[in-house]
Amino acid sequence: MSAEPRHWFESNPLWFKTAVFYEIHVRGFFDGSDDGSGDFRGLAEKLDYLQWLGIDCVWLLPFYPSPLRDGGYDIADFGGVHPDYGTTEDFRAFVEAAHERGIRVIADLVMNHTSSDHPWFQEAREGRDAPKHDWYVWADDEERYPDARIIFLDTESSNWTWDARAERYYWHRFFSHQPDLNYENEEVQEAMLDVLRFWLDLGLDGFRLDAVPYLYEAEETDGENLPATHEFLRRVRAEVDAHYDDRVLLAEANQWPEDVVDYFGEGDECHMAFHFPVMPRMFMAVRREEARPILDILRNTPAIPDTCQWGLFLRNHDELTLEMVTDEERDYMYSEYAKEPRMRLNLGIRRRLAPLLDNSRDEIELLTAILFSLPGSPVLYYGDEIGMGDNVYLGDRDGVRTPMQWTGDRNGGFSRADFAQLFLPPLMDPVYGYQAVNVEAQLRQPHSLLRWVQRFIGLRKAHPVFGLGSFEALVPENPRIFAHLRQYEEDVILCVHNLARSAQAVELDLRWFAGYEPEEMFGHTRFPAIGELPYLLTLAPRGFFWFQLRAPS
Amino acid sequence: MIAAPLERIGEDALADFVSRGRWFGAKTREVTGVRVLAAPVLREGSPGLVLALVEVRFETGSHELYQLPLGMRPAGEWDEGVVGEADGTVVYDALLDAGLVSELVRLMREGAAIEDEDEDAHIELSAVDGAELLAGPWPIRPMGAEQSNTSVVLGEELVLKAYRRLEAGVNPELELLRFLTERGFPNVPALAGWYAYSGRLMDATLGILQRYVPAEQDGWGFALESLAEDPERFLAEARRLGEVTGQMHATLASDSSDPAFAPEEPSAESLGLLTATIDEEIAEAFASLPELGALEPIAGRGEEVREGLRLVSHAGPLGRAIRHHGDYHLGQVLWTGSDWIVIDFEGEPARPLPERRRKRSALRDVAGMLRSFAYVATASELRRGAAVPEDWEERAREEFLGGYLPVVEPLGLLPAGRAQTARLLAVFELEKAVYELRYELDHRPEWVSIPVAGIVRLLESDELSAPVRP
Repeated sequence: MSAEPRHWFESNPLWFKTAVFYEIHVRGFFDGSDDGSGDFRGLAEKLDYLQWLGIDCVWLLPFYPSPLRDGGYDIADFGGVHPDYGTTEDFRAFVEAAHERGIRVIADLVMNHTSSDHPWFQEAREGRDAPKHDWYVWADDEERYPDARIIFLDTESSNWTWDARAERYYWHRFFSHQPDLNYENEEVQEAMLDVLRFWLDLGLDGFRLDAVPYLYEAEETDGENLPATHEFLRRVRAEVDAHYDDRVLLAEANQWPEDVVDYFGEGDECHMAFHFPVMPRMFMAVRREEARPILDILRNTPAIPDTCQWGLFLRNHDELTLEMVTDEERDYMYSEYAKEPRMRLNLGIRRRLAPLLDNSRDEIELLTAILFSLPGSPVLYYGDEIGMGDNVYLGDRDGVRTPMQWTGDRNGGFSRADFAQLFLPPLMDPVYGYQAVNVEAQLRQPHSLLRWVQRFIGLRKAHPVFGLGSFEALVPENPRIFAHLRQYEEDVILCVHNLARSAQAVELDLRWFAGYEPEEMFGHTRFPAIGELPYLLTLAPRGFFWFQLRAPS
Repeated sequence: MIAAPLERIGEDALADFVSRGRWFGAKTREVTGVRVLAAPVLREGSPGLVLALVEVRFETGSHELYQLPLGMRPAGEWDEGVVGEADGTVVYDALLDAGLVSELVRLMREGAAIEDEDEDAHIELSAVDGAELLAGPWPIRPMGAEQSNTSVVLGEELVLKAYRRLEAGVNPELELLRFLTERGFPNVPALAGWYAYSGRLMDATLGILQRYVPAEQDGWGFALESLAEDPERFLAEARRLGEVTGQMHATLASDSSDPAFAPEEPSAESLGLLTATIDEEIAEAFASLPELGALEPIAGRGEEVREGLRLVSHAGPLGRAIRHHGDYHLGQVLWTGSDWIVIDFEGEPARPLPERRRKRSALRDVAGMLRSFAYVATASELRRGAAVPEDWEERAREEFLGGYLPVVEPLGLLPAGRAQTARLLAVFELEKAVYELRYELDHRPEWVSIPVAGIVRLLESDELSAPVRP
């Protein structure tokens, strides 16, 4: 039996527009084979949990064979599963089981580069006459493409690295052990399309395309967002559309909104793209206690085609990236959120949601509410629903990729292996450690963060307006209030968020809805009807209200 | 290409027809539009048979899909269940036309696969191996009592059940009946055939054909009648009902090689997920209790109920999770005069299909039946004014469990030990009672006292009030 999505889903090419995504590090989620590393069998055992949580789509970090020098983003075989995670059959069975529960699955795919261990690169370095030599980007000196920036500033000093075997330099935008593929070469394009087809045929619902802006390079450019890159993405999309239904391509392009929208094309490139710049601005807004950073970036976000959607997130498996902010804003963010130098990485902050917000439940709820209220599809990062912490003493980004904390038992219920066998130690500190923060305990507490997140996901899913509706910012006089309207068909939602750490009053101009009665969406409490005068609301510190505006009957 | 008459009768006629259907599940929601998504033709000519799959859209932007088997004849030749007329053709509900219902059975008998080239889809009609369907034609009569489906009795031999509201995926009724029929479980109407849609739109079970079981009455009617005439008569058969239920669970748990049916060990958080789900339902039900005399015994006791639930959530293992009936009560069993037959394996119609297919503790079914005993006792008093012996419900429970537990206990499906089984059963009964409370408040306030009494009974029971021994 194939894991074809149509066996368990009604056709809906735009499913991703109303979906809640959940990002999972397979290695860190649950160990089904007692060897200290999470795997697909373990992940399948946790589908009941994911179904209960209410998420629509799982996004898997790379699970391919890899030397794991970059968390699996250094792929050594595009057509297999890392032996620690199980087999291709385990993968297929997981996808089928997820589909049966109404959950879709997308996976990370790195098209820009491979691991230097990939057989393609090993063949390519045999010399300039080797058949696959041209599958990578080579040069005899380091002079070409001088305008391309170095992304991993902390580890790399050049985008060129000398290969002693080929006796040439090869091009890499990321780590030196990740040579860039040469997309000028038609065989590379074909090979990558084969990779896409292989996984889609196994039932995968789509890909998060890692590092897409860098596929091509050209002189006198910064090597990002080049026209040829967009042309190849259109080819990928046409291939997917021609042979598969209801799949999604999600672009990771850490760029300004006006550049990112190009990845939607005219609805003929990627279905989704992450909105990177809005993320740090949500954190900034909370610290500065003002709505402006969010309003400004939304105002500067161009419209996107109707068949496309933004992916929105608070935190993910990478550092909280500060590439898309000004130098001044970056200094501000460092001083507020990364006081210790070891919390910083490249141009970013390597911390999870709860520690970033000093474990403030009010702020976690407020930011989650803002995230869920914006036009786009929210992407949650595993563990953030229980308020997991991080371990800044682990290298690179491992500090935010520690094992999921299921119970207060040994290894946090993540694995029955010996502690020493675990791929990373689970958190054990008194505040965020698994004895204090775990799924089992939070399931039992009606007011836990986990239970709140589950209710909140349910609320959002009951209203397609959040994924499909229009967005209109209200700009009240009180700058500490972030308020806006969402509207889809007859469903009108008013969202009001207080970014201040003190109680606030706000007057909203809602004249267009005179006669409507706001109904608070959590407790279904009716508020006084809207009149001609400004509508007055008072909000608790870091408080928020979501109202459904009920038309006069 | 959609058959011309169907296209011309227009949205309004379709919307009107759909919203009149007893099977239409969204009567309280405002319909903003109806359109035909696919309409494969099963029979050309007159009468013609088309399986229309229509989308009903609502004001919040959500939608539901429905199956409309439609007949077509020259105008004037048919006047029952008419959807509309266009181009001199009358379009009507094909399930009222014996010829077209017989045609569906004939196609199953042939194992037909009918292509719908426009939609890159096909309808498959299949008969169960060895079903030996007669060629027909069959006289038909409506079964009545339709909810989310339409059932037609063919010649007192077969029942065709067409699912009206469609969801992607295999209907649990087809899965469960096929499984039970293949394994020779005698207390169900055996599956004889089915038909399904498979295409770009989705894959969905459209309907099933099963043997007709001539029964005196359903369990609900049997219990009501017995309460009015001779309360002992039902009690004498309750043990057998428990046995049949146990044997059904034993059969459903008997194949560990079939992934859809293999019993599963509960995961570490199963109990937590279960109690969290029920706790939310309790909180929601108690948050909006109206002022009502009948609610007095539980008014303000929401926290007590949740506390009782929390006590159980610290309890030990859950037992194994299996496929089960899913919506088990006295209305879902038939009394033939000598034995019980279990029917209606669709699960709770309000829940989405992935949830209805989920493996859970078999005790969920048991709890459903036990709650049904409480209902029938009160219904007897309310409706017929017949006083029910005070210990009747308790004795019915004992008889039922006395039949059920000995069958199931040796199979390792239940939690270890009677005490733990009783606690888990209380959790499922509480879940049911809270669901009933909300349902009755919305639909039949005069019945509210039944779930109220059930909740009070549970609050005072050892299971939810005594601390759990480690």
